[in-house]
Amino acid sequence: MLGVQVERPRRRWVWLVLPGLVAVLVLSGGCLGLLRAGRPLVATRFELTPVLSGSFGSGIGVEKRAARAEAELRRLAPRGAYIVIDTYRNRLHLLEDGKVLRSAICSTGTGRVLRDPRNGREWVFDTPMGERIIENKRKDPPWAKPDWAFIEEGYLPPPPGSPERWDNVSLGDYGLYMGDGYIIHGTLFKSLLGRRVTHGCVRLGDEDLEFVYKNAPLGTRVYLY
Amino acid sequence: MLRLVLACICTSVLTGVVGAGNEPPNPLHVASRELELSVAKKAEIYLLLSPERRALEVRARGITLDCVSLGGIELLSQQRMIGRSLPSAPSVPARWVVKEGPGDADREVIAPEVLRPMPKEGEEEEEPVPNPAPAGAGPTPTPTPIPEPPVSYRVTLENGWDIWITDRLPQQGFLHLIGAAIQDGWRRWRGQGTDLAPAVTLVMTAEDARRLHHLFRTGTTIIVTAGEH
Repeated sequence: MLGVQVERPRRRWVWLVLPGLVAVLVLSGGCLGLLRAGRPLVATRFELTPVLSGSFGSGIGVEKRAARAEAELRRLAPRGAYIVIDTYRNRLHLLEDGKVLRSAICSTGTGRVLRDPRNGREWVFDTPMGERIIENKRKDPPWAKPDWAFIEEGYLPPPPGSPERWDNVSLGDYGLYMGDGYIIHGTLFKSLLGRRVTHGCVRLGDEDLEFVYKNAPLGTRVYLY
Repeated sequence: MLRLVLACICTSVLTGVVGAGNEPPNPLHVASRELELSVAKKAEIYLLLSPERRALEVRARGITLDCVSLGGIELLSQQRMIGRSLPSAPSVPARWVVKEGPGDADREVIAPEVLRPMPKEGEEEEEPVPNPAPAGAGPTPTPTPIPEPPVSYRVTLENGWDIWITDRLPQQGFLHLIGAAIQDGWRRWRGQGTDLAPAVTLVMTAEDARRLHHLFRTGTTIIVTAGEH
C-alpha cells in the first residue's frame, strides 16, 4: 500500500508537467516559425556611395565647371525684393537681397475639394506651390466671383457678366495678382488670419497688405511652399 | 525659423567658400551643384537633402526658403532575423523624384447635394429645410477643421526607394527586434503582411514632419548632395 501511495504522486507530477512541456515546445516552435517568417524593420547607417558621371575628368576642368555652376545659380536667384510664403505656417515674408523687410501672418488655401453636384466638376482650393510673379497690382480690387463661389454657398451660378458676380469689398484695399486667378489681397475676416481658410489666394491684414503693395513692384517673384 | 534658414545659408555659403579656396573644388560638390542647377532652372520648389550637414532644405532657384535640421538619417529595411541581406546604399549625388506622396491624397470633399437659385435683390431667402435627422442621431456636426498632417509617413520614389519621414525610429534593441519579428511573422501567417521598399529614413521633430507633409507630392524633386566636407 505504501509503495502504491508513493508512486501515484510521481505519475500525477509527470502527467501535470507533460502537457506543460508540450505546450512550451509548441509555443516555442510557433514563435520560432513566426520569428523566421517575420521581417522587422532594421536600421543601418546611411552610407554614401559617391558616384560621378563619366563626364568628370574629361572636357573642361573641375574649377571651371564649379565657377560656371555657381555663376548660373547666382543668375537664377531673385534680385531685389521677393516674397516667400509658407503655406503650412501661414506666414508671408517680404525680403530684399536676403534681408527680411516684413514678416506677416497670412491665410492660405484649405486644400479642400468642391464638387459641382450638376456635372461633377471639381475645384481644389490649394495655394499653388512654386515660383510666381506679381503680374499686376490694383487698389480697391473688384472681385468677379467665379462659379465655385456660388456653388460653395449652395447657389446656382448666375450667367457670366451678371451684376451678381461683382463684389467690391471682399478683397480689401489692394490686390497683387500672381496669375491664374491667384491674388494676394485683404480680408473682411481678420480673425481667420493665420489659418488655412482660403480658396487658394493669400489673405493679409490691412497694414501688412499696404506695406507689401508699396514695396513689392511689378515683376516681384513670389515663392510659395 | 528665419534663424534656422540663416544658419543653413551660412553653412551653405561656408561650404562654397571652402570649396572656392586654394584647394581644388571637390568634384562631388561640383556635380551636386550642377545637378541642382538643372532643377533650379524650372520655376518649382525642390528639396535638397544634405546627409553631411544633416539638413533638408526647401529651395527654389538655388536659394534656401526654409531649412529642417535632421535628428538622424538611417537606412531602414525589412530584414529576416537570420540571414540578413542589407540593401546597398543609394548613390550620391542624385536626383530623386516623388512617385507617390502623402501630399496628393487625403483631401476633404465638399459637395452640396442641390443648388438653389440666387435670391433676387430685396427678396428674403427662404431658408432651406434640412432633412430630419434619423432617430437616435446626435447633434448635427459643425464643419470639420482641417486635420493635422501625420508625423510619420512614407513617400514612394521613382527609383524604387522610399523616404520615411518620422519623429522617431523604431526601437532597435535585440528584444525589440525579436518582438517586432514575431509580430510581423504573425501578420504574415494571417496573410496581412506587407513588403516595404527600403527607406531612407529622415528623423526630425514632429512639427517639422507635419510641415513638410504637403511638399511630398507627385513630381517633387529631391536633390541629394555630396562632397560638402
